[in-house]
Amino acid sequence: MQLPALPLPALPALPLPGALTPLDLLFAAAAATLLLALLLGRWRMAGPLMVMGYGVQFWLLLETGTLRGEPMTAAMRFEILGHALGWRYDALSWFFAMITIGAGFVSAWYAGGGWQGLYRSQGHGPRLFHVALAANVLSMLLLVGSGDFLSLFIGWELVSWASFLLMAVAGGIAAQAALRYVTYAFAGAMAVLGALVLIYGVTGSFSYADFAAAVPTITNGQLWVLVALLVGGFGVKLGLIPLHLWQAPAYAETPGPGSAFLGAISARMGLYAIVVVFVALVGIGRLVQMEIPYTFISARELLCWIAALTIIFPTYTALQQHDARYLLAWHGIGQGGYMLLGLLVGTANGSAGGLLHVFNYAITQAALLMAVFAVMYRTGTADLNKLGGLFTRMPITFVVLLIGIISLAGLPPMAGFVSKWLVYRSLIAAEMPFLFVASVIGTLGTILSVYKLIHNIFLGQLRLEHEQVREAPVSLLAPMLGLSTVIFLAGVFPGPALSWVAEVQRALGLEVISYTLGGVESPQGSIDMVWLVGVLFAGFGVGALVFYGFGGKSKRVHQLDNYAGGHFLTADVRYHYSDNFYAGLMHLIGGLYKGGFRWLEGTVTSTVDMLSFSTVGVYRYVQPTLFLLAAAAVMLAWVVL
Amino acid sequence: MTGLFSISQGHSVLPVVLPLLAAFLMQPLGRVARPLALLLGPATLALSAYLLIRLWLAYGDAPYALAIGGFAPPLGITFYVDRLALLFATAVPVLTLLFWSRGEDDADPLRRDAVMLLLAAAATGLALSGDLFNIYVFYELVAVASFGLVTLRATGAAYIATVRYLLLSALGSVLALVGIAIVYLQTGTLSLAQLAMLAPDALQNPLGLAPFALLLIGFGVKAELFPVNTWVPEVYATAPTRISALLAGLVSKLAVIVVVRLLVLAFDGTGATQLMLALGALGFVTGELAAWRARDLNRMLAYSSIGQLGLVFVGFSLGGTAGMLAGLALVLHHLIIKSALFALATRWRGALARLTGAARSAPVSAGLVVLFALSLIGVPPLPGFWAKLLLVLGLVELSTPLALGALALVLLGSAVEANYLFRLVVRLYARPDDASTPALPKPKLLDFGVASAAGVLLLAATVSVVPVSGWLRGVADQAADRAAYIDTVFPTTLVQSGAR
Amino acid sequence: MSAMGPDSLSFVVVMYVGAFGLLVIGAIGMVMSNHLFRMVLALVIAEAGANLLLVLSGWRDGALAPILGTHAADVPMVDPVPQVLVLTAIVIGVGVQALAVSVLLKIHRIYGTLDVRALRRHLELDICRDAGMAPEGSREAPAGERPLPPPIPVADALRTAATDQTGATS
Repeated sequence: MQLPALPLPALPALPLPGALTPLDLLFAAAAATLLLALLLGRWRMAGPLMVMGYGVQFWLLLETGTLRGEPMTAAMRFEILGHALGWRYDALSWFFAMITIGAGFVSAWYAGGGWQGLYRSQGHGPRLFHVALAANVLSMLLLVGSGDFLSLFIGWELVSWASFLLMAVAGGIAAQAALRYVTYAFAGAMAVLGALVLIYGVTGSFSYADFAAAVPTITNGQLWVLVALLVGGFGVKLGLIPLHLWQAPAYAETPGPGSAFLGAISARMGLYAIVVVFVALVGIGRLVQMEIPYTFISARELLCWIAALTIIFPTYTALQQHDARYLLAWHGIGQGGYMLLGLLVGTANGSAGGLLHVFNYAITQAALLMAVFAVMYRTGTADLNKLGGLFTRMPITFVVLLIGIISLAGLPPMAGFVSKWLVYRSLIAAEMPFLFVASVIGTLGTILSVYKLIHNIFLGQLRLEHEQVREAPVSLLAPMLGLSTVIFLAGVFPGPALSWVAEVQRALGLEVISYTLGGVESPQGSIDMVWLVGVLFAGFGVGALVFYGFGGKSKRVHQLDNYAGGHFLTADVRYHYSDNFYAGLMHLIGGLYKGGFRWLEGTVTSTVDMLSFSTVGVYRYVQPTLFLLAAAAVMLAWVVL
Repeated sequence: MTGLFSISQGHSVLPVVLPLLAAFLMQPLGRVARPLALLLGPATLALSAYLLIRLWLAYGDAPYALAIGGFAPPLGITFYVDRLALLFATAVPVLTLLFWSRGEDDADPLRRDAVMLLLAAAATGLALSGDLFNIYVFYELVAVASFGLVTLRATGAAYIATVRYLLLSALGSVLALVGIAIVYLQTGTLSLAQLAMLAPDALQNPLGLAPFALLLIGFGVKAELFPVNTWVPEVYATAPTRISALLAGLVSKLAVIVVVRLLVLAFDGTGATQLMLALGALGFVTGELAAWRARDLNRMLAYSSIGQLGLVFVGFSLGGTAGMLAGLALVLHHLIIKSALFALATRWRGALARLTGAARSAPVSAGLVVLFALSLIGVPPLPGFWAKLLLVLGLVELSTPLALGALALVLLGSAVEANYLFRLVVRLYARPDDASTPALPKPKLLDFGVASAAGVLLLAATVSVVPVSGWLRGVADQAADRAAYIDTVFPTTLVQSGAR
Repeated sequence: MSAMGPDSLSFVVVMYVGAFGLLVIGAIGMVMSNHLFRMVLALVIAEAGANLLLVLSGWRDGALAPILGTHAADVPMVDPVPQVLVLTAIVIGVGVQALAVSVLLKIHRIYGTLDVRALRRHLELDICRDAGMAPEGSREAPAGERPLPPPIPVADALRTAATDQTGATS
């Protein structure tokens, strides 16, 4: 059964002057939002203004109608140095742009409310923050609309530097983390630039179409170079191992709503670029043909395993974090692995799972980080060893976090379950059992660590200093609750989101998933979330019946009224078990944490340092004329020989 | 002087002659009327700049040649004036004026002014001259003037750095002289136009490439070519910062232009370009790597300048109009940015650690540093990106192993460059370790003005990248056109035989 | 130079060898010596070689010096251009050498030595002092911060230290 579409209201066509398209208007609106942030960012009402700006952008995006309609080309195009530069939107662009603007919308809302006061009191100006956020949205809208490799690279760089701005605005540790990010990102960008000019060398242009036409004639060797450079370059942003080290600190230290925005969508720009180049232009089929000599592994399997390891390592790193923000940020790296894995499987279910997870994860991560920052807003800390028992003080935040972690862990009835189920299902159907096991191991780590998250913050003993903590202000709760609702609805009725994903698959030329309102119906596996959730809640109902049928005996006590071994525990006795969480598990796997990636990073920097030291030695050599003479001798020898 | 009202091609000599004359008049005039003598330098330079701009407007379209003293080209000295020459000749008085020392470095301003004028005259001559030996003489004049200028602070370190620089430069000049002698032996002429005519027969052999190698090393000393650039960091760290700005921004570029003229006209072969490509790529990588460890601003800028000039050499080595365009874009880009960065460094020289939190007292200057850093590493859509794109595309089109290796080095070096430049940026915006450290002085108004103008220019070029690139292509087309050079200097192509 | 050389071919060869010899001696002298004044002297030798080479480039077998009025008009002359050039080159060379020696005098007055190794050390120390930073240490312990990107974010490290757990990164 095909679902018609997400019932979006049919919009009246805008009367547009000249050759302008709604797409140009979208870019103009994003630029105008940036300009407004620049001019009016100091104003007290800047937050609501920004929210309106993103709202207008959202409306204009719908106006383009590129999800279901024809791809739209922007009238804005340049001819620079003989290279044409253009932008176009299709369903893929629409999908990513929709998430981007949505993330900007909720982040701006969060930032414009009570959080702004806290940010000001820490000595920061909200204007720079709003500018950075608007610049991020604008640059991402440009990136996802890139119509050729040159605009792709320009968009890529703009996104990189906009992210740097957002990460660095807070200064201090955040700026150091941002510096580390920019080192990785720019090195990645240089790899991308190298790959793009190599493509130019083969095809003679930067156009997508020429490259797609040339793919069959490109040798496997050349393609391997492109895979290495492009997956390396784009993978930096996606956080593929071993290029992921920058991401968690950079995202976690970014000021609250910025962190939510980056966590939700920024890293996915790497995924977008990989999809454009390797799924749309090169094709998964070609990657399968690229065998590594003397092994039975193809390029696709290599990338699949990188994705799978990207799921496992960062997730188990997240398990050990003591800071709620870092914990979530490390998860962000791992979840990117699921998306890439699903897309690389390439079947209808797999790619749908990967793409759907982009959306599901974005709403989940935004909600989770907002909840954590709401806790920080009230208590001043996100340290998992300094919190506990806040359930009674911040119940709504607790619910938001609960819904978020269920979704993050990929459990029904929340959104994350659907996309992860699709990925698992496709791995089994594509006969990749080891990758399936790897992703399940990753999910296990996720479940363990999100339990640590909610336990250490909300369950257990309330600390004395948090006795007076109140619920977060409404301005923070509203976007959080909105996101939670979407998470739940997208879990129970995944049909609308799947309809977008199906359009994206059509635009990419992939097999299209056959979806229903409640899930998927295909020979590779079917699921109906409406039915499943119905059963789940029926189970809860039965449980409640049993409980209340037996009298429903319960006694309400004060949160600080606690006993151990018959002794009353006063509030200053710390019995909340938070530190060295999972001691038993760590006893088993703790030895595996060797810090290998850090060692790798340190090795690279030490190598650069050593090279730098040597060159400085050359430049400071005692004899001023030695190198001149040596160069003359060498050159003359070269000339004569 | 009628030149103020009507302009003729003959006036192209004046920007060389006038500052030279003023330099010699400086001391006598100082005895008579000191205030007048102090004004003489700026006035002369302003006049030179005015003349050159008038020339640009009047004759900018087609190149023309000027026989000095009426002696016909192969024997007499010619000035060859095309857009490239005019562009750099105009840059000389303008930049010299902008970095005119204003009495804070030296006890004897008249002597300093005279040397500055000498530098301006010789540098203009370098841009215009069309005769190899004449170029050598101007080059030596530039060298002597710069030796005088870099000792202006009169510290022991400045003297040591200068003498090391001097020895290196002098030995380089000796090698260049040997190169000139070999050229003369083989062709019997030193006029560039005639060399261009004879080159395909006389210089396309190993013994023809040898003088290019020697000239490259000789002129490479000023052009900060690897590995004859070891003087750069120590001199820029000890000289007055404005002089460093002039040397890094302007004088190095003029030496590059000389090398490029030689390459285009006389040594247009793969051997010569490969030499330049290899040395340029090595220069870029070593410069950026060395800058990575720099702990003081001047030396960081010096190493970065070495790196950028390596990039320039790589650009010009691509050959043809494309190479000329890439090289020119990089040259102009670096000229603007490095001059501006050194202008900001006049008050900020010294340890990088002292710059922590400088953005608080000088927010606009710090913002300009960010802008320049972004453009230097080539972030779109700033002009630096387009220049770098031209370069890498050219390297890919060459597609030789050497070119691809250079491509890899350029990309890796850029990553290193991004790291150290943004370490500086983050430091500028960091909070000082303790509040008691005195705030850094703001850049002086004029230096700040220079930097801001450069920033505005950069942004304007970003917005108008299409017309700017078109204009630059015109300049490059003209500069890469060997036949036009010959036709312009020898309109009737009567002189076919050499001097013998 | 006389046109009546005993055996002009071997004379030219000797002169070329001599010119290159002077160049090589001068260049090697500059590299091998550690005393600045000796370097200047070596430079003088190298320049002499280069000038000789330049003069030789205009050499003609059996020709006279290009001076008007000393011989009949139909006797061949050597190429006058290099002779003019070499005059210029010599003047420039002398100027540069004089400048070098004057700077050497100042250096000797300030530091009391012209040893290039000692001066190299002085230069480095003076630059560092002028910049207001500690001089570089030995190779084993470079002074100042290591210009690396931060290996571990500070907050992370502090947390790790505070909670007595193993480093939480794989």
